[in-house]
Amino acid sequence: MDFRAGDSWGIFAFLCAALCNLPTVPALNGTEELGAGQSIQKTYDLTRYLEHQLRTLAGTYLNYLGPPFNEPDFNPPRLARAERVPSATVDLDLWRGLTDNARLAANYRAYSRLLKYLRGLDGQVGTVELRHRLGHFCSSLQGLVLSIAGVMSSLGYPLPPPDPRPSGTPAAPNDFLKKMDDFWLLKELQTWLWRSAKDFNRLKKKVPPAVVTLRIEARGL
Amino acid sequence: MPAMPALLPLLLLCLRLLRAEPPAYPAVISPQDPTLLIGSSLTATCTVSADLRLRAQDLYWTLNGRRLPAASYTTLGPTTLSVALARLNGSRQQSGDNLVCHSRDGGILAGSCLYVGLPPEKPVNISCWSKNMKDLTCTWAPGTEGETFLHTNYTLKYKLRWYGRDNTCQEYHTAGPYSCHIPKDLALFTPYEIWVEASNRLGVAVSDVVMLDILDVVTTDPPSDVHVSRVGDLEDQLSVRWSSPPALKDFLFQAKYQIQYRVEDSSEWKVVDDVGNQTSCRLAGLRPGTVYFVQVRCNPFGIYGSKKAGIWSDWSNPTAASTPRSERTAGGCDPKGGEQNTTLRRELKQFFGWVKKHSYGCSNLSIKLYDQWRVWLQKSHKTRNQVLPGDKL
Repeated sequence: MDFRAGDSWGIFAFLCAALCNLPTVPALNGTEELGAGQSIQKTYDLTRYLEHQLRTLAGTYLNYLGPPFNEPDFNPPRLARAERVPSATVDLDLWRGLTDNARLAANYRAYSRLLKYLRGLDGQVGTVELRHRLGHFCSSLQGLVLSIAGVMSSLGYPLPPPDPRPSGTPAAPNDFLKKMDDFWLLKELQTWLWRSAKDFNRLKKKVPPAVVTLRIEARGL
Repeated sequence: MPAMPALLPLLLLCLRLLRAEPPAYPAVISPQDPTLLIGSSLTATCTVSADLRLRAQDLYWTLNGRRLPAASYTTLGPTTLSVALARLNGSRQQSGDNLVCHSRDGGILAGSCLYVGLPPEKPVNISCWSKNMKDLTCTWAPGTEGETFLHTNYTLKYKLRWYGRDNTCQEYHTAGPYSCHIPKDLALFTPYEIWVEASNRLGVAVSDVVMLDILDVVTTDPPSDVHVSRVGDLEDQLSVRWSSPPALKDFLFQAKYQIQYRVEDSSEWKVVDDVGNQTSCRLAGLRPGTVYFVQVRCNPFGIYGSKKAGIWSDWSNPTAASTPRSERTAGGCDPKGGEQNTTLRRELKQFFGWVKKHSYGCSNLSIKLYDQWRVWLQKSHKTRNQVLPGDKL
């Protein structure tokens, strides 16, 4: 599904851009066909918002864990057990070659698991402020998962099946290792949000314009 | 490709993963996550996994990110290094102090969280209030500062005197960190026994039991509809009127009220205490031509026959009003140009204007005549700062 800039497509793209600036466009926005574009934009915006929220949450949480966790250059070893947190890191060519479906599915699976782990962060400890921020972030993250599901269904892709792994992940054997797990969880969240912005940016450019054609014809333009 | 630079960090991260993975647990620290009293000492050991080819002399310790002096280390074996910590202070964070064993290049091999604090003491100063007899909020203070180094759990419990069941309060931190709110199912006329249990890693403590009747600790909203107005032309008085707080309106026959007022640019409040249970009051002895801020609050004293005073409500939002400016004092320096701002003069002016329009006699009746008369008045009172009215004679 490559979008090549050719003469006819180029002119068409220009028409689309011009249309978008017309005040009549709001009437088009309500349709299901253009829903995919809107959903992708919303999902993109949500990842940026979460990125911003995470900066404050991570700062507060790492201060709670105490030094060296809150030091800027802290880089602990990634122990084998930490691999249970899905990694955003991926080979560049692999990433560029992902189909839309695979791209979306990877995001959906990752955030579903990250949300589970975040919710499992010990709810009893920390200040009231920290628990409150964490709760708010989890709600926003839940919103992101639903938003991605919305994009997938509007593009006609099936949702990935639920994680076969048991939801009760093995607890860290000691408190220090748990702190390391928490650190890596926040780190991976950060990397994922940063990657997702690029994922959705890429998807934005690939929403099939053929969909827009249908709508314009129907309005006799 | 234009996208390449932005994705370079991804590639680098990918390369890092391709290096050889370290063993799952490179080293073991003992004791792991101990709980200690403030002031105690601790000797911890770090034993490195054999397949790492590290020796005791390749290791060092840090506590909360700070390197510990080598003088406190002791080599106990080829792969075991110990550190001695004396007179520990309370934990820097409630998640535990981070004691970490490092390899020479700074890499983390293992860590242990130290929980240093004091066992809780009996929580004290339990104080409760009920808003409009509908709920109960209680606050307390921790028995000692030492228990704040550790995460200390507080549970507020209550039961009706002479009835068996203990209840546990569920909504915490509603009025500060040491508070709890009981929203419903409260009984009147029978006293409650209330106490707080504190527990942390080092122990448990239970406060003394406080006995109270909901009706003795009732507070309410501030009075509503506070209006402050002038008393005719009286320069030194203001009249304050309010309504009893709506929630307890039908029960406040014995309520007490208090008024406080201050001059606009002062921070000193004057309190009027003996207002009783009326809903109006006249403030006297005020300065003329001054803006005052007035607030009222209510105490639901004697509600349902309670013999005790209730708890004063918050003050109402300040209401402002000004006393009339004095005619006779020259302190009100009137500017020139006929701008004397007394209501009386204005009204007289309007009257004379009307008379001129509608009558054919008395044409020399004018505001000028009035001004002349006022000048004569001032002269005869021998006031010092004489200011002639702007109108020419």
